[in-house]
Parts: sequence; structure tokens; C-alpha cells
Amino acid sequence: MVRERYLQQLDLLKESVLSLGEMSELIFRDSIEAVIDLNVELANKTLALEPKADKLEEGIEVSIFDLLALQQPMASDLRLVVSALKLAADLRRIVGLSINIAKIPGKIADGHVKPLVDTKRMADVTADMLANSLRAFETRDPELAKAAAARDEEVDKIFYAVWVELIEMMAKDTSIVSKATYLLFLIRYIERIADHCCNICESVVYLTTAERVKLN
Amino acid sequence: MTEAVQNVTQSQIEVENLDLWYGEKQALKNISMQIPKNSVTALIGPSGCGKSTFIRCLNRMNDLIKNCRVEGKVSIEGKDIYGKEVDVVDLRKHVGMVFQKPNPFPMSIYDNIAYGPRIHGVSKKDLDGIVEGALHSAAIWNEVSDRLKSPALSLSGGQQQRLCIARTLAVKPEIILFDEPCSALDPISTSKIEELIMNLKKDYTIVIVTHNMQQAARISDYTGFFLMGELIEFGQTRQIFHSPLEKSTEDYITGRFG
Repeated sequence: MVRERYLQQLDLLKESVLSLGEMSELIFRDSIEAVIDLNVELANKTLALEPKADKLEEGIEVSIFDLLALQQPMASDLRLVVSALKLAADLRRIVGLSINIAKIPGKIADGHVKPLVDTKRMADVTADMLANSLRAFETRDPELAKAAAARDEEVDKIFYAVWVELIEMMAKDTSIVSKATYLLFLIRYIERIADHCCNICESVVYLTTAERVKLN
Repeated sequence: MTEAVQNVTQSQIEVENLDLWYGEKQALKNISMQIPKNSVTALIGPSGCGKSTFIRCLNRMNDLIKNCRVEGKVSIEGKDIYGKEVDVVDLRKHVGMVFQKPNPFPMSIYDNIAYGPRIHGVSKKDLDGIVEGALHSAAIWNEVSDRLKSPALSLSGGQQQRLCIARTLAVKPEIILFDEPCSALDPISTSKIEELIMNLKKDYTIVIVTHNMQQAARISDYTGFFLMGELIEFGQTRQIFHSPLEKSTEDYITGRFG
């Protein structure tokens, strides 16, 4: 086998993307737990992870620049490098949105305006989408990617239902507007995270089949 | 072969079931290819895969090699170039060739370009115009216009190669074959030749053999991948370098072997 160093660099790139993926899963999961339980301590612990995610993303970018400039990858290698760049950006946004979520517990002192049962379900589906989109990348499985992206519909449905519910509650009782608005932001952040998972799934389909598809 | 290539209405070069032997050894196996007019077609593949042998079939340069036997059909503009009535000298006027190493004649810059037109009977009064036009088209006029009487061998390697391209253009071919035209050149000269090739396709059909994958990807519209005498894959360059259909093509262009 020729170009051993190059192949190692490609493997390393894939592993770095998966590390950023794991980091984003952790930050998302903990931020959701922190916001549901209004656990400020867990929220602060989560916020402290953001610089680590930044470092991972930066490392991925540097290795992509090196690969493009020095190795000039072609065909499926080129698709891997381009997909890795896109995945890194999507994962970094997922981290950013999760960090926004982790900032909410510090702003709501004494309990939510409603039980967050639907929101928890929405977050669970999103976490599944994230896990499966990453596994699809790892195993180069376009079908798994498509299946993961298909669940975006469930997320959107819950989003609109909770949205309407919160608006109606605010219309009836203006004293809850401030706290309810944070929940509107919360569901919006989760919905956006699910969209980024769909982007990841699109990148995986592109990586494995060279086809550009729209999955959300 | 991809549909995109099959659907091209005007293919200038048509190769059908071409086999070639050097003595007992078969160097090309059942090659079929359609090369569209006014396009750049790159041929890639590891050393010894037959790509140079193939390109030399297109102007019958292999006729010069002892024990070389060709079967199958090569047509240019619908005419079988291996037909009995074909004048090989005339064929090579229509199908010019530029080689790996610049090979100017040991004479002046002017005479290098004028040589071909002169032997084809162009009158003296037309020569100046032809020489200037060819040097312009080969993007070297500005560098040599004030020293046309200087020896061609006093030019740099990159300039010599462009001079050879100008010499080819001077006899007004329709097709130009390039056999690794940049492999003896520095990066700047290489860029100049690449620019030149991309400009020339407006007026000529170009087939280029190259070992430089990025060069093939940059300048060609179609790419053919050869391996052990066979044409493994032929298609639009973007598709070949982005998502080749054959595993061996993928392995070659990603540097897994070769």
C-alpha cells in the first residue's frame, strides 16, 4: 500500500470528527438535563466544555487545510475531506446551540411554567438523530443517515405543538411571558439542532454515494 | 462509457475495438473511445498501461516501430486513418503532436515555425504572418518577437516547449496530441502550457497523456483511465475525479496504487 502517511491522516481526520461528535452529544445531553431539572451546577459544568469543542474544531480545520494543500485528495477521499469540513461546522453549531440551552437554567429561578414532557421527548428524538447521524458517518451508511434525518418530522411536530401551547398560555397569563419565552427559545434551539443533524445526514449521503440530497 | 460522452453529437475521433501488439505482446486490448471536437481529453494511468501507445495510434506514430501490429478502427472525421489510401504524412499534418521533451530543430526560432509550412508549399510572402500567428497562439510571441533569428536552443525549456506547440500550430492541424508535455518543465512553465491548452481547445481537439492527476483534473473535459492495456473507464473529468464508477480508477486516482 502506497501513501501510508496520507491514509493515516485521513483516518485521523475521521476520528477527530467523531471526537467532536461525541463532545457535542455530551454537551447537548447535559444541557437538556440541566434545563429540565434547572440544575445550575450541571449547566455551568456544561458551559465550561465549550472551549474544548472549539479546540477540536480548530484541529479538524488545520488537518483539512494540510490534506487539501499537501495531499490533494481525489474521489471518495476528497468527499471525505469536504464532508468532514461540513460536519465540523454543523457539530460546532450544535455545541453552540446547546450552550445557549445551558444558559437558560441560570435565568429561570423557580420552576417552569409547564412540565417539560413534550420538550424532553423532542430532545430525546434529536439526541437519537445526532447519535445515528454520527454512526452513519462512522460506518458510511447512507440508509441509516436517511432514516435518522426522517425523524426531523417528529421534532418539528412537537415544536409546533409546544409553540402554540406556550403562546396560548402567555395570552392567558401575561405574568409568565418572561419564563415562557425562555422555553420558546429552548424548543427553537432543539429544533435547530435537529436541522443540523439533517445536514450531517446529507453530508453522509454525499460522502457515500456522491449524490447531493435534501433531507429536511 | 458514460451516457454524457455517448450522447455527444460531434465526435471527431472514433476508436473502435482497437488492439495493438508489439511482437507477441499485446499492448492495447479492445479499446473503444469517442473523442468530441473542441474538447480536451486526458489519458491517465500507471507507466506501461498503454496510454502513450494509444495516443500514438491516433496519428500512426506506431507505424515507425518494428513488429507493431494494429487491429480495429480509428476514424477521424469519419475517415478510417488506417485505410490503404491514407497518406501518413498528410495525416500527421492534421494530427499534430507535442512530446515530453521539447525538441526544437537546431535552427532559428523563425525557421522552426516556418519549417512545416515551407515543406507544405506555403509561399515566402505568407510565412511571416503564419510564424507570428503561431507564436501568438502558443503564447510566446511577446517573449521572442525581438529575436526571431536567434537559435531556438537558446530558449528556456518552457519556452522551447511552447515553441514546439507553435511549430505544431503552424501547419494548421485539427487535432493536437500531447504526450506528457509538462513533465520536463518547472511549475510556472507548466501553468503557461496548461493555460495555453485550455485556450487552444476553442480551435483544436486536444488529447493529452499526463502523469499529473491534478493537471488532468484542471484542464480536461474528458478523462480516460488505462490499466494494463485496457481502457477501464472513460467519462467526464468531473465525474472521474469526483466519483469514479470503477474501483481500480478510484484506487489509482486516490494513490492506493500506481
